Amino acid sequence: MRRLDPWLLLSVLAISACAYLAQGSTARALAAPGFAHRQLVWLAVGVALLLLVSFADYRVLARFSPLLYVVSIAVLLALFAIAPLRGGTRAWIAVGSYTVQPSEFARVVTILGVAALADEYQQSRLNFAAVWRITAVVAAPALLVLLQPDLGMALTFVPILLAALWLGGLRWRAWIALVLGGAVFVAAAWLWFLKPYQRERVLTFADPQRAPYSSGYQQRQSKIAVGSGEITGKGLHSGTQSQLRFLPAQYTDFIFAVWAEETGFVGAALLLAAYALLVMRIFVVALAARDRVGAVFAGCAGFGMSTAILINMGMVTGIAPTTGITLPLLSYGGSSVLATCITLGIVQSIWRLRFANV
Amino acid sequence: MTFVRDDLRPVQRRAVAILAIVAVGLVVVLLRLWVLQVVQGPRWRSAAENNRLRRIPLEAPRGMVKDVRGEVILDNRPAYQLLLFPEEMNDSVRTAAFLTRIEIAPADEVRARLEKASRTSHLPSVIADNLAWSQVASIAAHRAEFHELEIHPATRRSLPPGATVAHLVGQLGEVSPEQLAESPNLRPGQLVGRSGLERAYQDVLGGTPGNLVVVVDALGKQVSALDEEPPVAGRPLGVTIDLALQREAVEAMAGQVGAVVALDPRDGAVRILLSQPAFDPDLFAGHLEPARWQELTSDPLNPLHNRAIQALYPPGSTIKPLFAAGALRDGVRTPFDTVYCTGAVTIYGHPYRCWLAGGHGRMALEQAIEESCDTYFYYTARDAGIDRLASWARTFGFGTPTGIELGGENSGLVPDDAWSRRVRGQPWYGGETISVGIGQGPILVTPIQLAVAYAALINGGDLVQPHLVPDKGGAPRPTGLPAEALAHVRRGMEMVVAGDRGTARRLGNLPVRLAGKTGTSQVMRKKDGVKWYELPWEQRHHALFVAYAPLDKPELLVCVVVEHGGDAASVAAPIAARILLRAFGPQVKQGEVAAAVPPIWQNTSLPPPPAPKGQTSGPGETLPSAAAVEPARPSSHAAARSLTQQEHPKQEPRTRQ
Repeated sequence: MRRLDPWLLLSVLAISACAYLAQGSTARALAAPGFAHRQLVWLAVGVALLLLVSFADYRVLARFSPLLYVVSIAVLLALFAIAPLRGGTRAWIAVGSYTVQPSEFARVVTILGVAALADEYQQSRLNFAAVWRITAVVAAPALLVLLQPDLGMALTFVPILLAALWLGGLRWRAWIALVLGGAVFVAAAWLWFLKPYQRERVLTFADPQRAPYSSGYQQRQSKIAVGSGEITGKGLHSGTQSQLRFLPAQYTDFIFAVWAEETGFVGAALLLAAYALLVMRIFVVALAARDRVGAVFAGCAGFGMSTAILINMGMVTGIAPTTGITLPLLSYGGSSVLATCITLGIVQSIWRLRFANV
Repeated sequence: MTFVRDDLRPVQRRAVAILAIVAVGLVVVLLRLWVLQVVQGPRWRSAAENNRLRRIPLEAPRGMVKDVRGEVILDNRPAYQLLLFPEEMNDSVRTAAFLTRIEIAPADEVRARLEKASRTSHLPSVIADNLAWSQVASIAAHRAEFHELEIHPATRRSLPPGATVAHLVGQLGEVSPEQLAESPNLRPGQLVGRSGLERAYQDVLGGTPGNLVVVVDALGKQVSALDEEPPVAGRPLGVTIDLALQREAVEAMAGQVGAVVALDPRDGAVRILLSQPAFDPDLFAGHLEPARWQELTSDPLNPLHNRAIQALYPPGSTIKPLFAAGALRDGVRTPFDTVYCTGAVTIYGHPYRCWLAGGHGRMALEQAIEESCDTYFYYTARDAGIDRLASWARTFGFGTPTGIELGGENSGLVPDDAWSRRVRGQPWYGGETISVGIGQGPILVTPIQLAVAYAALINGGDLVQPHLVPDKGGAPRPTGLPAEALAHVRRGMEMVVAGDRGTARRLGNLPVRLAGKTGTSQVMRKKDGVKWYELPWEQRHHALFVAYAPLDKPELLVCVVVEHGGDAASVAAPIAARILLRAFGPQVKQGEVAAAVPPIWQNTSLPPPPAPKGQTSGPGETLPSAAAVEPARPSSHAAARSLTQQEHPKQEPRTRQ
């Protein structure tokens, strides 16, 4: 225990506390008290899992990553056959009485796979073959998730790829090629993959007056919620925007708006500080890691989590489009909480073993 | 022990770069939160309040209006309004279709109202008044589909049936933007007085609207009531009007076009204020449909016009007592100066005819009033000159509004040389002075001005300010007319009714002694040999009669103007007589009063005057026939005789049966 990073644990517990309070408020608004309790259970289970994984050896996990990767790809493929259509996507499967979102776990495995792959390239820069292999490893699950379709989740794979390539080292020429390739991919996605409502969301972000009653309406309600919290907030369970259900998707994508409305700038800034502490500790682990596997894992996980936090908060405060990216630990969802905790457990494991001699 | 470690320095360097980018992102989010919550916080807070709070306006019940005896003229009755909250409307086409289906209004009208309501942003607007029960039920049943609609209990003005007090009470209408800017108590869509008493006493009757603030959720469902600011009902208003007399006037007018004004000559308290044709005041009790408004404004008889204070008429012979008083005051005439009337006179080289073709013979002032001798007043006008005639007219208040509380009063026209040069660009033409002398030519007055002028004749020479609410009259302004002069004029007016040759002597045998003066003002140039009742209605003369009673201490003065009535003594005088009989006569039932004073054509085979648009009741139909009352009325012969004595400037009416 003593060899774990206390700051990381502390930030996770602080965020969990905020998550329970925020979920309690939205559960009241939606008259579904079970939500908050279940989230609390997931958080408890998640912290336990975090501790459990932190006592595992991340290098062992990395060694098994090809197997885990194949399994997760297989599950993602199987989803197209066995998952029921829910909310327009085939992202969920039933396991017992729970619904599980396999893409959350596939993402952890992908980070692990990227980290394991990075170990094979000991040069200061990645060569051409390495870039392709890393890109393929990230792109395969991401594309499967995109086809579910779950744009928000698929987008969270992008920062993992970018971080892996960045940490491995790329020539400028390669970056330029990558950016061009990415642009071509985005254009293709815009033309052939994005649903009309997804295009509308992006366009609405660019011009909020475009559709005041759909996605623009959501973001406006979110901004009203955050802004009207002012400095000290309206008090827990007293946010008018959440309690009167003006806030859309308030237990998932817009949970931060609930928190910001009810606790004000003070609470929002404290939560932001907890996330900053968490992210900073993950990068400290990346710097302290004893090997390339640990450094790349922590770096990718840290950047992935950071971008999710920033994009979600940006969306809630109206400076990023509504993409359906959830806020780690705070948004409702067992799979998300557990996958995040497993990731952080591996990070703890990297920290714990930073001085270990092979 | 040595560690074999990779060279991780490039990786670590790059990780620090990522952390730096993330740190920048976190700072950006922090700043964004600062801007939203601290800098713009109050603005977003009010946005959140607008989101959840709905202010439902609570209209204040307007004050009731009672007449001088305490009888209710104007009251309220419960009604249901339909409010629209424009922000809640998702699909105006669907809402419009629904409202059209339940027959709130025709499709394009509904669309127009929705559009107008949408322009007033977050405030609810009244879409319909006076909902039928079936409409209330339909809207309630579709509540879940149309969050934007709200049924709201309110009150509606309830008036006496018919159009008895339409102009007096006036119209309600939606508050105008200018009024809104002026008064903080008003709010969009609120009904305020637009004319009549409703407007003049908006401050008293209007009350203060209240608010019900309710909390609604995102679906527009009312969650709870937060606060109620109850409306303050308008205060009751007691007016000087006598509703019984007003009703009598309506019956006596029998659907003819014109005005009746009655007032207490002592202080100017108005007892009757009637203008016909009138509109149905219930149209204005709530929110008026533009189609109905169009209908009213395009009516050629202009029912919205309050003829009692707005219409201009040549006073005709009713000006003679006023000029007589002026002539006595200024010494243009003494009471005993005489003029010989041969039926025609040539002044300034032009022939002027007296209405009595054979002439009146020798006339002194009192007689000239009694018989309404034109010749006497032609000479008086010539001797006075137009500027002096104008000053007499102004002495009696002509040319300026009387100052009654109602808005839109006309000031009339007192012509003189200066006016002619200013308006017509040419000097006054002396021949016109002679016409003005008998109340023709460019001189124009309103019925209420005429009433006020006569009040001065009979109250000792004070120009009172007519008023509808007690103590709003102000101090009377003395005209400075000598009491002796007034006494002569009054005697002349008494002889109009009581004298053997008085123009209204057919009223001489009524149970109430009254006095007054007839006036038949010319609408267009006479055609010789054509009788008034043979002319098309719109070419007939206006019939005027101003009368008062009791003779020694007058308490009520009635001024009747019947547009195109044709003849004063037979059309206007019976109306005034009925009213005075009602006020001072033995207690009789309404129908009996009518029987006592039938209009003259019932003794003849004359056609009744055409009933103005929409009203089928000519006088011949509503009043009992002359034959039925004849045995009971000894004066009927006198009345019949007076047929041959019609005053008719420049025309010979003798041939009438």
